[in-house]
Amino acid sequence: MTSAIFELSSRVAQRYWAVALVVAGWQIWVSAAGLSSIVLPGPLAVLTDFVGDPLSYAEPAGRTFAVAVVGLLFGFVLGSALAVLSWSSRLLNGLLTPLGLIFTSIPVVTLIPIIARLLGYDVRTVVAIVALICFFPAFVYVGSGLRALPPGSDDLFRVFGGSRRQCFLRLVLPSSIPNLMLAFRLTAPEAVLAAVVAEFLMGTDGLGHMFRKAAGEFDTERALATSLIATITSVACFGLALAAERRVLRRWT
Amino acid sequence: MTSARSQSFVLGLIGVVLFLIAWEVIGTYRLAGLTWPPLSTVLVFLTTPAKLPLFERATAASFASVGIGYVCGGAGGLVLALVSHLIAPVRPGLDRLVAVIHAIPSIALAPLLIVLASADATPPVISGLGVGYVFYVAATSGLATAGAAHRDLFVVLGASRLSTALRLDLPSALPAIASAMKLSVPIAFIGAIIGEWFGASRGLGLLIVSAMQNFQIPLLWSAVLITAVASLSMFALFSLLERLVQERMR
Repeated sequence: MTSAIFELSSRVAQRYWAVALVVAGWQIWVSAAGLSSIVLPGPLAVLTDFVGDPLSYAEPAGRTFAVAVVGLLFGFVLGSALAVLSWSSRLLNGLLTPLGLIFTSIPVVTLIPIIARLLGYDVRTVVAIVALICFFPAFVYVGSGLRALPPGSDDLFRVFGGSRRQCFLRLVLPSSIPNLMLAFRLTAPEAVLAAVVAEFLMGTDGLGHMFRKAAGEFDTERALATSLIATITSVACFGLALAAERRVLRRWT
Repeated sequence: MTSARSQSFVLGLIGVVLFLIAWEVIGTYRLAGLTWPPLSTVLVFLTTPAKLPLFERATAASFASVGIGYVCGGAGGLVLALVSHLIAPVRPGLDRLVAVIHAIPSIALAPLLIVLASADATPPVISGLGVGYVFYVAATSGLATAGAAHRDLFVVLGASRLSTALRLDLPSALPAIASAMKLSVPIAFIGAIIGEWFGASRGLGLLIVSAMQNFQIPLLWSAVLITAVASLSMFALFSLLERLVQERMR
């Protein structure tokens, strides 16, 4: 029993020593320099603010999470649909693939102000922004998954007289699933971050808005606690996506 | 093969041209409302002599942030990756630290940095953190790709850990590092722009956000277009480099 606890704590220490060092250094620096909590509160003060009133964080966090998930799903459905469309037609594929690559190599976050102006300051705009940011990775990864078939497998389908539709449903679509899940895991935390940035810029509900309000009132403890919650939400999204990916892959392969 | 490649190039070019035409048509006929200007309006606005100094100043400030962030972040990520490669026990801790820093939303980092450094130092720092993450992840996995046979040879010939790292692991990590150089370009730009959204005194990000708030639509689209084109050309340049390195290292 004690050896199990020892083993666990040594594993935690091995993984988190650097993070702990940074947090400890932060606290010591704030205490030693006697910084006012408006300028920079220590980690303990931030934690106290959060523990004192956790419910006030829960609602905006839930909102941001919901917006991020809805946007993520929209982006993935649209991106995958377009990838399938461009798989089915060589012309469309040739036309769309370079555009998809171009959009993944530019900073898409800078499009947020443009979308905000196009659609108005609204929760739906945040969803649209998240969807747009998730759309391109989905399109590119699913597109490459649709083309990366196991060698010789499409010949097998042809030899046995499978129609193009059968080939698509039973070979091409399933073989793109691992790539789809990979893109899902990579973009899930980005979706939360995009939602927070959009909320921050437009001042709609959610963590971004809460952060902006707290920073505007010089309530730095609350602002940093909001960042902490946003980080946890983003990490949670990553964890959920990772679990989903593992689960799907176990069934699929 | 060459005809297939040139065919797909032509198709891709047509796709891009169609996209630009769609942009123009939607803007001209106001299909998406008043906030979607036609491409030609944006280009005319961009080339207006009176506006040039404004764009020049903003672009210079942002590119300086991107450059500093890119170089420092890349070097920092590489050094950290080398350290965690050479000193195995620190690696799990460094991995975690880098992952945690990466998970903190950059808008949450910005106010912290404004306190710790200054508003003008925030864009390069955020961009450097993003770039450093990509370099660290790519380099740590790249440093482990050397073949077992090569490694055995170095051991048999009595090479030290450091010289194995520098003469075997580092060269075999080059393709991964070249990919990181390419992939971190848009991230460097995103970091600089987001950093500027938090009260930098100049730069494209400031231009974008003030144009958004003041309804200066052509200015907004022009600033975004400059950012996109700059990121895209740097990305294209580094893809060429990546291909050269991959061909050389094969």
